[in-house]
Amino acid sequence: MKEAAMAAARRAEGRCSIRAIWVLNNLDVVLFSRRFPTVERRWRAACKAEKEQCAKDSDDSGVDFAVTSSIPTDSQLSESFSNRKKREGSVRGFGIRVADSVEGSDSWVDDPITRHIISLHISDEEGKGHLLWPLILHVKGPYFILVLPLVEPKHLGAYERLYKRSDCGTSVGVDPNISSLLLDLPSITGAFMVAHVIGDIITGDIVEPEIAVSASPVGGLFDSLTGSIGISGISARGKPAAPSVAASPTSTGSLAGSVISDAPKAGSGGLDRDALQTFICSSMPFGTPLDLSYPNISAIKMNGFSSSDMPHADVKQPAWKPYLYRGKQRILFTIYETINAAMYDRDEIPDSISLTGLVNCRAELEGLPDVSFPLTGLNKAHIEVLSFHPCVQVPEQGVDKQALMFLPPLGNFTLMRYTAFPTLGPPVKGFYQLSMVSENEGAFLFKLRLMDGYKAPLTMEFCTITMPFLRRRVVSFNGTPSIGTVSSTEHSIEWKIIASGRGITGKSIEATFPGTVKFARLQTQRSSVLGKGAIFDEDSDVEMDNSNNVANVEDYLEEKMMKDLPPVDLEEPFCWQAYDYAKVSFKIMGASVSGMSIDTKSVSSGDYILWNTLGKCPSAAVPKD
Amino acid sequence: MERPPKKNLSSQEWESLMEDFQRGSSGKREKWTSSLPPLSLLDLSLSSLLKKDFPLSLKLHLLVFLDDFADTLFISSPEDSDEVLSKLVIGVEAVIQSPVDGVSVSYALKEQMLVSVTSIFMTVTDFLRVRVRVRVSQLEALVAILLTIVNRPNHGMDRQTRAVTCECLRELEREYPCLLAEVVGHLWGLCQNERTHACQSYLLLLLEVIQHIVACKLNVNSVFSTGVPLVPFNIPQWVKIGGVDEDGDDEVYLKLHLEAELSGSNLKELKRVMAFLLEWPQVLTSCGMMEFMSVVMPLAVALELQPSLLKVQFFGLLYNYDPLLWHVVLMLYSQFPDTFGGQEGEIFRRLMLISKEGQQPLIFRLLVLHWLMGLVELVSKRDVEKRTLIAGMGSSFYPNVYDALALKSVKLDLLVLCSVLVDAAESCDGSSRVSALKYFEDGLVCVSAFKWLPPWSTETAVAFRTIHKFLIGASSHSDDVPSATKVVMASAIFHAIQASLSIRLLSHRFAKPAMEALSGNRNTVTRLRVASWNREPKLVPVVGSLIDRLLLCKMHCCLGENLLQIFDERLLPKVVMNYMLSSYFLIFDKIGKNVTVPPQRLLELLTKYAIFLVEKHGPNTGLKSWCQGTNVLAVCRTMLMHHHSSRLFMGLSRLFAFTSLYFPDVEVRDSARIYLRMLICIPGKKLRHILNLGDKVVGISPSPDTSSFFNVQSPRMSQELKKSRNISSYIHLERAIPLIVKQSWSLALPALGFDAEKYGYIEGTKDSEPQMSGKDSNFDNNIEIIPGIKRIEQPQEPLRVMDSKISEIVDILRMHFSCIPHYRHMSGLKINIPCTLRFQSEPFIRIWCSDPPGRSAEELKAVPTMYAIVLKFSSSAPYGSIPSYRIPFLHGEPFSGESLLPHGSMDIVPVGTPPILTLGSGSLVTIELEPREPVPGIVDVSIDANADNGQVIRGKLQGVAVGIEDMFLKAVRPTEIPEDELPEYYSHLFDALWEACGSSSNTGREMFSLKGGKGFAAIYGTQSVKLLEVPANFAIRVVEQYLADFVVSVIGTSLVEIVKDGGFIKEVTWIDVVSDSSDESKSITVSDGGPLCLTYFDNEDDKYRRANIGKTNMGCFLVLIFLPPRYHLLFRMEVSDVSTLVRIRTDHWPCLAYVDDLLEALFSL
Repeated sequence: MKEAAMAAARRAEGRCSIRAIWVLNNLDVVLFSRRFPTVERRWRAACKAEKEQCAKDSDDSGVDFAVTSSIPTDSQLSESFSNRKKREGSVRGFGIRVADSVEGSDSWVDDPITRHIISLHISDEEGKGHLLWPLILHVKGPYFILVLPLVEPKHLGAYERLYKRSDCGTSVGVDPNISSLLLDLPSITGAFMVAHVIGDIITGDIVEPEIAVSASPVGGLFDSLTGSIGISGISARGKPAAPSVAASPTSTGSLAGSVISDAPKAGSGGLDRDALQTFICSSMPFGTPLDLSYPNISAIKMNGFSSSDMPHADVKQPAWKPYLYRGKQRILFTIYETINAAMYDRDEIPDSISLTGLVNCRAELEGLPDVSFPLTGLNKAHIEVLSFHPCVQVPEQGVDKQALMFLPPLGNFTLMRYTAFPTLGPPVKGFYQLSMVSENEGAFLFKLRLMDGYKAPLTMEFCTITMPFLRRRVVSFNGTPSIGTVSSTEHSIEWKIIASGRGITGKSIEATFPGTVKFARLQTQRSSVLGKGAIFDEDSDVEMDNSNNVANVEDYLEEKMMKDLPPVDLEEPFCWQAYDYAKVSFKIMGASVSGMSIDTKSVSSGDYILWNTLGKCPSAAVPKD
Repeated sequence: MERPPKKNLSSQEWESLMEDFQRGSSGKREKWTSSLPPLSLLDLSLSSLLKKDFPLSLKLHLLVFLDDFADTLFISSPEDSDEVLSKLVIGVEAVIQSPVDGVSVSYALKEQMLVSVTSIFMTVTDFLRVRVRVRVSQLEALVAILLTIVNRPNHGMDRQTRAVTCECLRELEREYPCLLAEVVGHLWGLCQNERTHACQSYLLLLLEVIQHIVACKLNVNSVFSTGVPLVPFNIPQWVKIGGVDEDGDDEVYLKLHLEAELSGSNLKELKRVMAFLLEWPQVLTSCGMMEFMSVVMPLAVALELQPSLLKVQFFGLLYNYDPLLWHVVLMLYSQFPDTFGGQEGEIFRRLMLISKEGQQPLIFRLLVLHWLMGLVELVSKRDVEKRTLIAGMGSSFYPNVYDALALKSVKLDLLVLCSVLVDAAESCDGSSRVSALKYFEDGLVCVSAFKWLPPWSTETAVAFRTIHKFLIGASSHSDDVPSATKVVMASAIFHAIQASLSIRLLSHRFAKPAMEALSGNRNTVTRLRVASWNREPKLVPVVGSLIDRLLLCKMHCCLGENLLQIFDERLLPKVVMNYMLSSYFLIFDKIGKNVTVPPQRLLELLTKYAIFLVEKHGPNTGLKSWCQGTNVLAVCRTMLMHHHSSRLFMGLSRLFAFTSLYFPDVEVRDSARIYLRMLICIPGKKLRHILNLGDKVVGISPSPDTSSFFNVQSPRMSQELKKSRNISSYIHLERAIPLIVKQSWSLALPALGFDAEKYGYIEGTKDSEPQMSGKDSNFDNNIEIIPGIKRIEQPQEPLRVMDSKISEIVDILRMHFSCIPHYRHMSGLKINIPCTLRFQSEPFIRIWCSDPPGRSAEELKAVPTMYAIVLKFSSSAPYGSIPSYRIPFLHGEPFSGESLLPHGSMDIVPVGTPPILTLGSGSLVTIELEPREPVPGIVDVSIDANADNGQVIRGKLQGVAVGIEDMFLKAVRPTEIPEDELPEYYSHLFDALWEACGSSSNTGREMFSLKGGKGFAAIYGTQSVKLLEVPANFAIRVVEQYLADFVVSVIGTSLVEIVKDGGFIKEVTWIDVVSDSSDESKSITVSDGGPLCLTYFDNEDDKYRRANIGKTNMGCFLVLIFLPPRYHLLFRMEVSDVSTLVRIRTDHWPCLAYVDDLLEALFSL
């Protein structure tokens, strides 16, 4: 058979294969690397074919694919990775075309996704070098995970043209763009999945969805969780790392604002190479991912199979369910909802409240039964988006009444995810005002109403308001709230309206808190943005006569604060440090806010923010349909 | 050469072997491969794998490692490789058959063994296939082993191993298509039977084989036939593994199978298999599903299956939350777009909704939006009408306030897309244009903080990225006709952006929310908003770079120009007249530079501003006035350079006239006057080229943005640049006395390469080190006050015993140092470097006098002259400030040839031609340096002169090299020493310094006050020795010629005799002693042992030395060289018949490096 025909048969179109994986630490040292020779051979063959094709068409426009452009060694990779970091300002890079971007770099492409799909220029001995793309960059803890999926040489060529373009940037929808490339390349999607799993493995961050076994509102989340593990009838499972409270998009993440940046925290402890190696060997023996479920793979590795593990009599056992459950049968559901809110209390900006929810499930059922799960009242529930676990046979969408059919996998899983608008009003409403009366002193006022219109069994377990002052040091504060206790840290004031353990059920309460706060003298942190600021730095002689205009403290302060405000990463919603706000965190048990109802429910706060009514606030336009 | 192969490797050795390979240093790899030939490495590995005490985890690592580096480890000769394959088969068999004990052998090990061996097999055969036809028996054996394992469906314990084995087989099938086609019947049976979780692998394997059968149109007997036994396995004849056959009959089987159509029965059977396979997708993992679909889709095409079946079965995957499954559906759509007719809207909507799912990691939300954009493009390629589906969804892409900026930015892209589509639709049916514009306005709300955040904020970057996208709209870069751009310029959005940017630029204050009203009805702090804080318009630089971005783009430069025009129209009349205006100068400069913008308005504004500056001038605004005035003139200069002067004449002359008359700053007045004269007197073309010539006009800062843009466009400009650049090729400033050493380097000390202030700091530290003892680090800054006081307060610490000899030395040194001026307090010691300035007439005439065509030949032949020449010097070396040198006029060198050559033939400028020195053609120039440190360096020279016709010649000349020998001065003569005692004084001084620079000197802690008593010096000596192997008479000649001035004593009868006669060396101390006398030795060695070291002569070595060398020793020269500002270089040159030993001491150790080169050069002349 002709080579060309064989090559065509071997073509990797639409498949996901990985050429190599690297894990680096924050010093750009390669901690782990794995190459897949069979995939690499396919890449070389494709390069050869492309070259022959180009030669045949006498087509010079094709990029010069050095057939020798093999996978770089660890040291080459680490070198070009840190070179890129230097050129692009940070590990991820600028992402969009800025003044510092140069032609022939990722940010020249001018798309934020180039912070995640990067290219590296590998220099070889002849000094010619070649382009390595697409490298999936996933940052997890102190580690950088790079995954190189197999694409076709023509894709690489297309990208190379994008990043060397000489014009002013893609015009949407007409010019060749990165979007069509991404649509053509499922291997990139697969590589992201791989990168995420690897990230979770090396940081020990494998968390199963939570299930509250007991519906009792008294028991904390932890209790119920550990309880459920205790009862667990699935002995065959090797339980991976201890689960932690997963509902934490709320806590540190957003509060820290730009503190979460590219630079991961210093690496602590080594990386479990054996675990990673084993996982990769089983999940993608030849570089093609077959199963990315770490719990399943580690259970098989740890327990193997015994002769008592008999296959099902007449149905095929799914690949994602290597073991069958034996024991007492039951099925548990828990709903977790997270509310995000931007409360402005202003006429011109409407408040925005949205919620995301999870229906977690644990089905301890023998054999391979199909479970039917009726969904009703979808229209009434203001559900915006609804997505299901892959085990669910998805019915037609948009019908008010549906019955989901699913064959449950082992252990806890998220049966469905949804995004909705709450049917109940916001659990915390009111306003927050902060005004600077002098350069270092501010007066503030809270006037809040909690659980307005929330009836039993809805219980607010706790509610805390935090006023973060990311760029100022709190020296002291004054004032007494009408309810609850107040404490302060260096950069925040915390008001515990409802302490945990003293939850309120079925009644609404009012809370006010007027007070003042004193800050330490403002120090400009010139150095922090020197690199950026210098570019735009105005002539020194443009400075204004401060003495004349100090009449307005806030404007003056603002000017002073803005001067050294560092830019945030593109992964942040906005520059948190530029605003005054109070962040609400709470937990409500007993029912869902969306009206979604099965068994156990709990609602907690995501980015639930009261924006200073007297200050600036970020907002977004709301479509008026 | 070859070392004996290793017998065994320990675990540690294995680990370091793997690490070295992983790291990738070829040297270390070499080390291993040279000691371990492929076969023995393989043997070692296989035996380690079977060892009981070899750690299991290491075995796994080893297997992965062998797989990873198979191409470097096992590929050498074909014979070896053949052997490798055989050994691998044996190895895999052994591992598979060993019982699982969980300690030394586990299922994981077996699985990895299968995977690695399969992979290595393919690597090695891949290598072999290009060389010789490989014997297929090994491959057959391997496949047989694999098939044996697979052939036990539903077996309990090893189900995972069977799954992995299926993968191995699938990988082999992928490599050698149709390898398993003959046994497909067995695979079909196995696949039907298998019910454990391993069934995914069986399904995929079967699918792979089927796909190859279909793709290769291979007619097997029957897909369901099990006629061919599974084991032993024979490679079917159609699989070609070898290379080119010797007899070239690789077409044999092609005739049999290829090009034929699949037979009807085969097709039917294959369809049945497909139907079976399609029954089971729900058992697949999402990765498995992707793999499955990527094979099923081409199969469905080839077997002409109904794509709608696939759609019905798989479309629902889009509603799962697994990104891989979404992509599967999109792949399906791309493959069978017709099948999805009418459902594009649903896909679009679903993707849009997924992007709103907060639970998904950001990257997948971004990806989904990208897919959506890609899909819209794909759809509209087939049916343009369907694009409107997305246009209607515009409002769904409004970013949420908590969306990450990256997500906001991609959503904004989609809004751009929608607005473009809406716009296009409107221009067709002429409906209202509000919505497209609305997308722009609403979209930017989410990053509206760019209006007040610092210009470097990410919000600003995102906002301007979007503005740019809206600006260029649908005008593609691939279009050749800029018609689309014209359309864009007519669009509502473009006008909106123009307006918005103008407003942004004007807004000095925040867009404050109307909060006063709000705060009124709340009982808290109400504040009165007094006059708004006056701010500079922050966005000027950002808008500037947006315009640059457009101007630099071939397609869209007209958009940039248009924006500038709009700013000219709308911004200029509205700007507030205050000092803040200067922040706009970046934009003004761009306006001034652009010919498409009429300059009148800008000129008017600048004039008003100049008036404002004059009016506001007060006692505190001196600097400000100067700076702003300069800025104004800089913009004027830019305009002069880019516009026709007739266009500017009125306005500009008025502005210049006003400025030169009334402006408070004298420099600005001067510059304005010069410009005015230029504007009036010089024709435009010439004026522009003059302005372009000198980058810096005195007192005028160069325009903030020197545009390469303009230069590139104008070929004339580059010529002009060349004109000035080449000056150094025909105007020469050369040293009168060439350097002995062409110093190509200079020792970089901490004191090098910075300004005088810093330099002083280091000097100061040196000076005061002994005194400071960490107490007063400000010493050097306050040097003028403190030393005087300190001298009185501080006793000469520490107390120490001084014998009479030392005190004598110290006395001499005190006297000496007190004569040395300290450059920081008075003018320091200077050195002069005589040079000659000359220029070649021919090139000079050609370049500077060629343009007026009316010149007669005679005029051309006349020797040209430069007038009012000013040479300016500067240097990065620490030479202090170097005074410039003025020459009233200078004639060119007479022509070298008899006649002037025609212009054309002189095109090549003779660079670096040797100087043709002709009397009267050069002028003597003295460069006066005041070194802060005796180091060689380069003095940069720039010339300013007028040509005959008044043109300004300005440029850089070749730098003048300064050598260490230029630093050589005679020691300063104290006034109290009479002339005739001078030789004696110098001799004593030499001895004293020699002593002081000795290694164990007791004067090291002594501070010597310099002239005027304000500075101090201490001596830190260094010594060195240099042996010059030259005959005595030569050495003496060199000393006489080059060092005569610095010789202070000549010692040794024979030497004195020779030298005295020479007459070069005069007025020195002659010491007529026998060369090897004790006196002489003493003076040499005294320093080595210290003054009281009397045992010296007992030293064995020395006796030996004297015995050998003494005979030929003729005597020695003592040379004392003073190095400004206050250092010394001492030579003691012991001359003997065949060599001269130079003992060197100095109190400035860095100079040793240069001295070495110098001596080397001197004595090899």
